[in-house]
Amino acid sequence: MFVLSIIKDTIAILPTNFGVPSAQALISEINKKYANRVLHDVGLCICVFDLVEAGEGKVRYGDGCLWYKVRFRMVVFRPFASEVILAKVKSSDEDGIRLSVGFFDDIYVPLAYLPQPSAFDPNERAHFWLPDSEATTAHELLESATADRMYIDQGEVVRVRVEADEFYDDEPGPPKASEGIAVKREARRAPYSMICSIAEQGLGPVPWWKSAQPDGDAMEEA
Amino acid sequence: MEVVNARSALLSNFEVLNLLRELDAEHIARTKTAIRVKKEEEAAGKNSHDTHTEEISENLRTVELEAIQYLSADYQPSLHQSDASITQLTGSLQPFGLSKAEKLQIVNLAPTEPVELYVIVEELEDRLGNRMKDLLAAVSKSLNERAPEHPNGAVVVPEVKQTHDEDAVEVYEEADQETWEYDANAMEFDDTGEGAGVEGDLDVDDD
Repeated sequence: MFVLSIIKDTIAILPTNFGVPSAQALISEINKKYANRVLHDVGLCICVFDLVEAGEGKVRYGDGCLWYKVRFRMVVFRPFASEVILAKVKSSDEDGIRLSVGFFDDIYVPLAYLPQPSAFDPNERAHFWLPDSEATTAHELLESATADRMYIDQGEVVRVRVEADEFYDDEPGPPKASEGIAVKREARRAPYSMICSIAEQGLGPVPWWKSAQPDGDAMEEA
Repeated sequence: MEVVNARSALLSNFEVLNLLRELDAEHIARTKTAIRVKKEEEAAGKNSHDTHTEEISENLRTVELEAIQYLSADYQPSLHQSDASITQLTGSLQPFGLSKAEKLQIVNLAPTEPVELYVIVEELEDRLGNRMKDLLAAVSKSLNERAPEHPNGAVVVPEVKQTHDEDAVEVYEEADQETWEYDANAMEFDDTGEGAGVEGDLDVDDD
């Protein structure tokens, strides 16, 4: 789930921090700049792992900060494709389910990746799965007995396989002169989002696959 | 700013949890000293001239606490793991011929049922067949090796607050773990602070 990335950057230490040992000040500044931020095509940065090397601090003309050229390793959150992770259901709607791992919650399971056959129950506001059902349309599925349905409720812990992730760089371009002052703000897309699947055996809510008796029969559902 | 290598090594959840807990303990210790120093200064009647206050990034604290909460949740196996047990687990996974990604996932998810293993390892029956049970036994063994010993193992982490003096904080002692006996085959655990034993095994560049 987590990887180490090696990053090179130039970091400024303010004079107020000159009393602090430079390694500590550098790590602090790097964390301030990168923690909890998404780096395009890298992932969600968590924290600094360590400093690989740092040059001497140099003073630039114009300000009193010491500028260091640093190379460091950063702990980054980026599950690889087809990795299996545990997540909690944050919300469900007609288009699919949204999951969260606490520090990151742009994880989506679109309808295509739900176990078949399944449907969305608008009363419960949750998706459910009907194992071994021959029904194909949502209408038929909603007619099924409620007791047979395996619901995926909010707050449940689910095992999912990461299928794909997407980075979106929404750097605002230079302000266009023609548009004047009021620039319309477009709907913000998440800079980093993940698509996951729960369509296979073994995926989905963890309780579904917990075998009650220790009799070793492999692919039994709960 | 330049990304030299976006994916130079893989980390297990356990390693990241330890790292974040250390960071958390440092922050709390630092805040405590800062408060203590301030109180002493006030008591001594000095003017509270702000000599040096190091601000701790809000972002860092947020992601750190939420990640600790997620990684130490009770549905995660990290509560039952330790450096020694993970080194032993990766050692015992050697003969099964698994890829790095599969080994990492086994360490992260600690599957104890065949179904769970099925999603992690591709073509399970062809590659492992009846050795599946041995693999699952090895995983269970590494989990049972220790009961949760962390002082703040399953406790919900308190809200982000800069002043923590009212919480009885126990600094997470990593030193205690190293007195366990190791498996003779396991790599010697060298506490360079980088999880050298585990990380070295899972290093992507090794392939």
